[in-house]
Amino acid sequence: MASVEYRGMNLVIPENDSEWREHFKLARGHKLTLRACQVCGLMRYPPSHGCPWCATLEWEWKEVSGKGHIYSYEVVHHAIQPGFKDWTPYAIVLVELDEQRGTPTPDEALRIIGNLVTPDFSPEPESEVAIGKRVRVVFQDLASDFALPQFALTDERPVGRVWSLPA
Amino acid sequence: MAGLKDKYCIVGVGETEYSKRSNRSTRAMAVEAIKKAMADAGLKAADVDGMMSYQGGDSTTANWVSADLGLRLNFYMDVFGGGSSTEALVGLAMGAIEAGMCKTVALFRSMNGYSDFRIGGTGARAAQPVRGLDLAQVPFGMRSAGQNFAPTFMRHMYEYGTTSEQVAAVRVAHSKHASQNPKALLKERVTVQDVVGSRWICKPLHLLDCCVETDNATCIIVTSAERARDLKQKPAYVMGVAGRVNKPRTDFHWAAGPISRVAGYYAKDIVFGQAGIKPEDVDVTGSYDAFTFTTMLQLEEYGFCKKGEGGQYVSSGIIELGGKRPNNTSGSHLCEGYTHGMSMVIENVRQLRGLVDDYCPGWAEGKHTHDYSAGKCRQVKNAKITMNLGWAMPPTGSALIMHN
Repeated sequence: MASVEYRGMNLVIPENDSEWREHFKLARGHKLTLRACQVCGLMRYPPSHGCPWCATLEWEWKEVSGKGHIYSYEVVHHAIQPGFKDWTPYAIVLVELDEQRGTPTPDEALRIIGNLVTPDFSPEPESEVAIGKRVRVVFQDLASDFALPQFALTDERPVGRVWSLPA
Repeated sequence: MAGLKDKYCIVGVGETEYSKRSNRSTRAMAVEAIKKAMADAGLKAADVDGMMSYQGGDSTTANWVSADLGLRLNFYMDVFGGGSSTEALVGLAMGAIEAGMCKTVALFRSMNGYSDFRIGGTGARAAQPVRGLDLAQVPFGMRSAGQNFAPTFMRHMYEYGTTSEQVAAVRVAHSKHASQNPKALLKERVTVQDVVGSRWICKPLHLLDCCVETDNATCIIVTSAERARDLKQKPAYVMGVAGRVNKPRTDFHWAAGPISRVAGYYAKDIVFGQAGIKPEDVDVTGSYDAFTFTTMLQLEEYGFCKKGEGGQYVSSGIIELGGKRPNNTSGSHLCEGYTHGMSMVIENVRQLRGLVDDYCPGWAEGKHTHDYSAGKCRQVKNAKITMNLGWAMPPTGSALIMHN
């Protein structure tokens, strides 16, 4: 797979993209897989060449649950990319995954950027977006070997205080 | 850098008009800005033998520009970089001179930042393919600077109770300052209500929380204190400089929190350590106001108030002309025009000289009224120490402390 067209963007993942190629392919099998260091065992995202903590270059894929909560967010009203104009307002969420929270130091975590979407991949209404709310990963299939991990709300108990920007 | 304190200084500054349509090349604009800075310093072509610039594939280069100015360079370097490059390049210019590679360096940034390559990601940048690390954010409609920074701002509001009204005070202050600046694109004073009532761009950013994209070129000339003695202007001496200091995991800084912390957390000890001063010794600050929030976060992180109290600090009146420590007295990125950081250093140099180019009839002779009402004066009384806070992204920043 060399490229995927999505919302007017040309997403390019050449064969030599040793960081991303397998990640999105595994996502097409509806698995959220992260790189885990073969020495210290810590996982990291995005898929990177070396371990950020011990600089080990050996790693293995590890599947995570894809469950987490909204750590921060924004709501785009004025789209920059033309393909997003008909999607506004849309929420971008920074999701903190359940695995490896506060590890190896209290403020570190596995965090991923995605859109907060309904099960049919429309933007979740902005009134529903809030820090603390629980989410799960959902996979938006875009090609035979490429899917985009996105996030949808669940009805699990929120993490900490639920907060959104006052209207 | 304790050994370099006061050994180097800024001796010349210059800029083109700030506009939304320059109708000319980045090369043409750079030449004008450098020529003005050389004239400001009283330097001839034979005196300038070093040149540096920064850009993002959107501008001319030093070796082209130098030919138009009749310069023969002993050193030049065009670096890839955006915000926070200004202060870093001042430090690198000092290093180049200290290493004996050249004697005097002209730094420039030239950008058709509105009519051609818009930082916001529209214009010439819109059609670029998405690859590599950009795949972690751009496919989700997260491309512009505002979109990239917004989760940092939102988390600060969550953690510390910072409000839209508090940060709007930054725009209010900078618009007041711009009303005393003949060069400013947006000279109209605005209120907190104007800011929070303006349309949403990406929450928590309103239109007026964002800076004004601009076509312009700017130049700063650095040389040794020894050479500065023979030049025209009172030098602005460099007391301390920190260049592009990073938080951990700058590839994806969201992983290493707290994300409401910005690079100044690490840069402050370097720059204050070199200068041997504390935040309370600074008379004028120049923050990187790409957004109202970036000003608030930087002032807080560098210790001008306690962490988490940035909202109160920027809305207290302290940062306005006439306040205890005015910030961005030219109106800068939010109102004067977006320069990728250069104009805030230029303004502080002029503050230290006592020669701010406001509406006072005698400003060129240093005669200022200190009447800070609209259309009047913007010279700070007795400004002795200034500080610039450069911002590239939440996890990357630079700083520069100068005195007269």
